[in-house]
Amino acid sequence: MTLEIKNLTKQYNKQKTGLSDFSIRIDKGILGLLGPNGAGKSTLMKIIATISKPTGGTVFLNGEDIVKKPDTIRKTLGYLPQDFGVYPNLNAYEFLEYIAAMKGVGGSGLRKRIDMLLDGVNLTADAKRPIGSYSGGMKQRIGIAQTLLNDPKVLIFDEPTVGLDPEERVRFRELISEMASDAIVILSSHIVSDIETIADDVAIMKNGTLIDKAVPSELIRRIENRVFETSIAHSDLELFKAKHLVINTSRQVEKIQIRYISSSSEAEPGAKKVTAGLEDVYLFLTQSQH
Amino acid sequence: MNYLYPIIKADYLQRSRSYAFLITLAVTVYAAYSFVPTPDASYTTFTIDGYRGVYNSAWVGHVSAMMSTLVLSLCGFFLVNSGIKKDIETEVGLIIATTQISNFGYLLSKLLSNLLVLLTISACALLMGILMFFIRSHGYPFHISDFLLPYFLMVVPAMFLVSGLAILAEVFLGRKTVLHCIFYIALFGGIMSNVNSNNNNPIEVITDGFGIRTVVNSVKNKVNTQFNENIENVSLGYTIHLGKKDYKTFEWNGVSWTGFYLFSRALWIGMILSLVYLSSSFFHRFDFKQTVRKKKEKDQESLLKATTAARTRFDKFTLPAVVPAYGIFPFIKTELLLMVRKDSKWLWFLNIGLWIATLFVPLHFAYTFLLPVLLFLQVGRISELVTKEKTNRLHYFTYASYKPLQRMLPAQIIAGFSLLIVLSLPVICRLFLTSGHMAAIQIINGCLLIVMLSTFLGIVSGSKKLFEILFFALTYLAFQGLAVAHYLGALPHENYKGFILSILMINVALLICSFAIRNYQTRNL
Repeated sequence: MTLEIKNLTKQYNKQKTGLSDFSIRIDKGILGLLGPNGAGKSTLMKIIATISKPTGGTVFLNGEDIVKKPDTIRKTLGYLPQDFGVYPNLNAYEFLEYIAAMKGVGGSGLRKRIDMLLDGVNLTADAKRPIGSYSGGMKQRIGIAQTLLNDPKVLIFDEPTVGLDPEERVRFRELISEMASDAIVILSSHIVSDIETIADDVAIMKNGTLIDKAVPSELIRRIENRVFETSIAHSDLELFKAKHLVINTSRQVEKIQIRYISSSSEAEPGAKKVTAGLEDVYLFLTQSQH
Repeated sequence: MNYLYPIIKADYLQRSRSYAFLITLAVTVYAAYSFVPTPDASYTTFTIDGYRGVYNSAWVGHVSAMMSTLVLSLCGFFLVNSGIKKDIETEVGLIIATTQISNFGYLLSKLLSNLLVLLTISACALLMGILMFFIRSHGYPFHISDFLLPYFLMVVPAMFLVSGLAILAEVFLGRKTVLHCIFYIALFGGIMSNVNSNNNNPIEVITDGFGIRTVVNSVKNKVNTQFNENIENVSLGYTIHLGKKDYKTFEWNGVSWTGFYLFSRALWIGMILSLVYLSSSFFHRFDFKQTVRKKKEKDQESLLKATTAARTRFDKFTLPAVVPAYGIFPFIKTELLLMVRKDSKWLWFLNIGLWIATLFVPLHFAYTFLLPVLLFLQVGRISELVTKEKTNRLHYFTYASYKPLQRMLPAQIIAGFSLLIVLSLPVICRLFLTSGHMAAIQIINGCLLIVMLSTFLGIVSGSKKLFEILFFALTYLAFQGLAVAHYLGALPHENYKGFILSILMINVALLICSFAIRNYQTRNL
């Protein structure tokens, strides 16, 4: 199972570019997509989900061009958009049956499949009341359940953990890890820790282009020995920022605690080296490159 | 009150940038062109049997203003009756509710924003009216006051009334489109019913909500005096004349706007403001207490159930195998389910009552009046056939589904069509039994027309507004006796088969266009 994206471009108008000459090869497993707002993550996912046409480039799934033949991927696609909605007058069963019909799934086992998926997202107790009465997190979970109805081979999640409480986030990560054993999972999130925990590969995007793609540990290695923490006076902060990439600050009584990536491997006097994380490398790559 | 301006401005910009607004504007400009027909046209807009005013600026200005009042009162309500609903749907209302704005301040801003939308359209109709004067006048002098005064003194107060009624409907009737329709049809019918009253006494002037009667009576008096006639009834609105009709012409120089007329308009505006002020005490301010309370209780219940339930790890390999099923029946089932659950249960009792009545009342009455009413009561269901997926932000799923064009759209059309056919069944059967085969076929054809209009306009505009306005206008004009507007074919036609064929061709054209546009939309989100 391979998704091969070559020179993908999406030009909305003369001023606005969604994707610019974007190429990537995605294999089985979980690919985490990271990037600031407007980086082109949602555009990329919409194109793969076949609801938006690129202005240039190709997308091949196992050698089949899905831009020209969208139904090739639609049969095996699970897609959770960022701002999806539901029919409020339907209950969870009715809604999932409806989505199953869209995906071309039926048969006598459908009801059991829905039962198990509802259990998987912890909604069994609420399955018979109208979705209009659900909380935001519950709606998000029903959205996650619908992606799995057709035993998808390509799963696309755009900000899936928004509105989920910590317990449900853990549950979601377990569920996705389970599904990723024989499928391509593309997951975008602003919560870097979610990506760091479950992604096999991480792609970092900015301004519609791919900045870097590698396994998380390899990405982190790129800034190893360059992440430090120190305390400085409030008045020195601007000068410090001009010199290094400040990742995080926290105020103390008279000083300010700073986590930073040094422009060289040398530490500032008094600074101590700390273990780098994916968030550090993400900020390093998106803020230092153009 | 300084905060009102930015709120009104933002609201106005939001609405005026919609396709529904732009299409309504375009239709109004075309309608304004038709308000002043050529002398040999087969229709009139202000009909005094056998007589017609010469096209001086007074006639063109006043007729244009009266027709604008009529058309915009009829359709404008449905264009603006969802300002608060939009704030609920977008959840902007929740933000507004946390600000300092008072209920009355908010409702007033919505009223003024409604008014601005309607006045923008009126202004276009006014400009078109002026243009039509130069096209049709044949040398009569142009007096700008003949256009500005009737628009300012008749159209503006009438639009204020419509804007206010839309607010009252939203506050007291909530989001039920059908209830809005019933409420407005009753009021509109009531106001228009005594346009022909010959009295100009104070009570009659005051009760004339749209302020049309003063102009109508002035024209009638002119004709009756000049030609020694005793005409009592005139008709405002499109009247089709079969064959050539000769008119005696007369020169009418406008109406003198009395102080009492101005007072009556001020009174209507004051009354609307008072009612909106009173309604602000009942305005929900986006706090739907009952629903929220129930929801919280249920949330707590489910939380309890969820926390006590044993957690099992999800194992995808235990899921039943996926069985392919690419039929459209499940979609039709869900579409029907959604239509049945739309609106409250008591409205279904009304539907069932009317449906049974169509079995027993005289066939002519059932066919001409009862069936159009019964079908119009479904406006809320039919209007959202193809728009609800976008309104509910479900289109991401539907557009990404397997063959959406071949499965989803046909299912929506079939479901809507089935509902209307089931409702029409008693009349169809009765017509077949009494050898009215062509009429029965036209009912089926007409039901399809309603569904196709909803489908096409919904797909093009992304909103249900245009269809609602058109459906309302068609139903109203059908009741006014305009044969072409009676889409079910209950009124006589010179060429009935030709009428059926025309509707059928329109249906086919709408079907093809709907599929073509939706095909583009599914790939260009």
